[in-house]
Amino acid sequence: MSDFALSTSPGQQRQLEAFYYREARLLDNRQYRQWLALLSEDILYRLPSRVNVQVDNRQRGDEDMISVERELEGADSMGCPIREETYIHLVLRVERAFKINSWSENPPARTRRLVGNVELMTHGGDEYSVLSNFHLYYARPGGASFLYSGQRRDVLLAAGEGYKIRRREVILDYGDIALPTLGLLF
Amino acid sequence: MAYPITELVNEDATLVSRRCWTDPGVYALEKRGIFGRAWLFLGHESQLRQPGDFVQAYMCETPIILSRGQDRRLYACIDSCSHRGLPVCRADHGNTKRFICPYHNWSYSVEGELVAIPQENAVRNKPDKSRLGLKRVPRLETWRGLVFGSFDPDIMPLEEYLGDMRFYLDAFLGRFPDGIEFIGAPHRWLLDANWKLPVENQLGDVNHGAFLHSAIIPREAQDRIEELGHSVVTAPGHGATFRLMPPDAAVDEVAWGMEGMGGMLGGAPVQEYLREVQARAAERVGPLRARMKGLTYGVYPNLSFLWSNASFKVSHPRGPGRVEYWSWAVVPADAPDEIKRVLRTNYSSFFGPGGILEQEDSEVWVQQFRGCNIDFADDRPCFYGLGLGEEKPHPELPGLVSVTANEFYARHFFARWRDDLLAVEGRP
Repeated sequence: MSDFALSTSPGQQRQLEAFYYREARLLDNRQYRQWLALLSEDILYRLPSRVNVQVDNRQRGDEDMISVERELEGADSMGCPIREETYIHLVLRVERAFKINSWSENPPARTRRLVGNVELMTHGGDEYSVLSNFHLYYARPGGASFLYSGQRRDVLLAAGEGYKIRRREVILDYGDIALPTLGLLF
Repeated sequence: MAYPITELVNEDATLVSRRCWTDPGVYALEKRGIFGRAWLFLGHESQLRQPGDFVQAYMCETPIILSRGQDRRLYACIDSCSHRGLPVCRADHGNTKRFICPYHNWSYSVEGELVAIPQENAVRNKPDKSRLGLKRVPRLETWRGLVFGSFDPDIMPLEEYLGDMRFYLDAFLGRFPDGIEFIGAPHRWLLDANWKLPVENQLGDVNHGAFLHSAIIPREAQDRIEELGHSVVTAPGHGATFRLMPPDAAVDEVAWGMEGMGGMLGGAPVQEYLREVQARAAERVGPLRARMKGLTYGVYPNLSFLWSNASFKVSHPRGPGRVEYWSWAVVPADAPDEIKRVLRTNYSSFFGPGGILEQEDSEVWVQQFRGCNIDFADDRPCFYGLGLGEEKPHPELPGLVSVTANEFYARHFFARWRDDLLAVEGRP
């Protein structure tokens, strides 16, 4: 992938951003079933593990030495990603939210997602590779509040006036995982 | 300390004081009485294949480097420079020739020997480097690839310590043609809870599934678990729970891994692999253990093994009210890479920091800690009396055996815990 985003028309950029703003609003409003309708049913939803890697002396002075990619145990690695999910997993998470005994969400967390830095990186056929950043504020009664920060690497599929999410890889910016759960819908 | 040990856990361990989980004085005694005198889990040999390979580990709050030396032997050293005490290793794992302290570049070999003090060139009296290596963990032993260390130089051999837990661990470890391996770095996350809360959950608390996890586990599935379930204590603090499947049960019902998300969704090659393992299980572990379908295991004090979702876990204390919980996915060593990648999701879908089930467990550990850190309730210890005295020896299974509703696994744990603290109470 090039370091430069594709140049998009104001209309296209606006359409992409509007898609992500609506997605964030649905999730913050806990309209999770409507969120599911934004997914392509062949979705792969992944959250790599982030590892403290050893500095490779041979890479001294190179960008590779401190690259983010080196820190990730992703789906193609022989490490262990934190989440590797399909549509079925996500349906399970969504349906759980509507049960009275999903105790870690009872009472539910109050969340607010800010999405930005939306960049269309590549486009081929009906697929769009899009990067976006997010901050997710998370507060539960009786507990501390938390800030989740990360990047989403999506493949969107053109669908009608909008898009469906076909791939999502969430790069979370944690040092140590001092967060109540990484099982949220990012 | 404000609370005498004998008042924390009563004689038959049916009543456990809330202060066991919250009192700083109790925690200080736990460090000496338990973590200073037990075998503590460090890692698995599959993480250390080549000379120079290392992983980080902990023994209670003490950081450890576990490494494979140039002589191919395993070494465990405290990760703290002999000069100013800094950690000399910053990576979770890797391969190296030297561990180097960032402050003055004191350099250590992968075995922990001090190799270089750059500053000594400018002084006349050279220190004796042979006496300034990293502090070695005095005892280090392995069994079936599992590596344990102990700060007690006089502790009994590891195999004796594990005792009959070996019978139950082997039902899983010995099931696969080449045993198991750990895949990837451990997932590590912090919880505002006491270290014993995850341990107790994994030691034998099968029956909370019907309640805490009812949003995910269907009632019929949980009923079946409890109907076939056995709970075993091989020695106080060591426990195993498992289903003993009927001799005529279908292969798909017995085989490890089939009921996980990876096994269910992974497609024909994964399922054929799992059936093949089960088809030959009786040859490897005998007919009785071939019928075992494990649930939770615990090895005193803080190692857990979740057979049903293929994960080893260690609950590392960070003070009385904080846990750094580590968990690794385990996969059969002989499986092709693509099957290993599917089977690791048997763990990560439901467990670990993003798991659908474990978020509920984390919630109750934090809530139990809070409930035990309140005032005006010291006359109301937690009740651990369910099933008192109902555990019995079994004709085929070593240890004391009972139904999973019996809380004897926790009573035995707390009786041992109390005795371990009594052994060091009032002694320096």
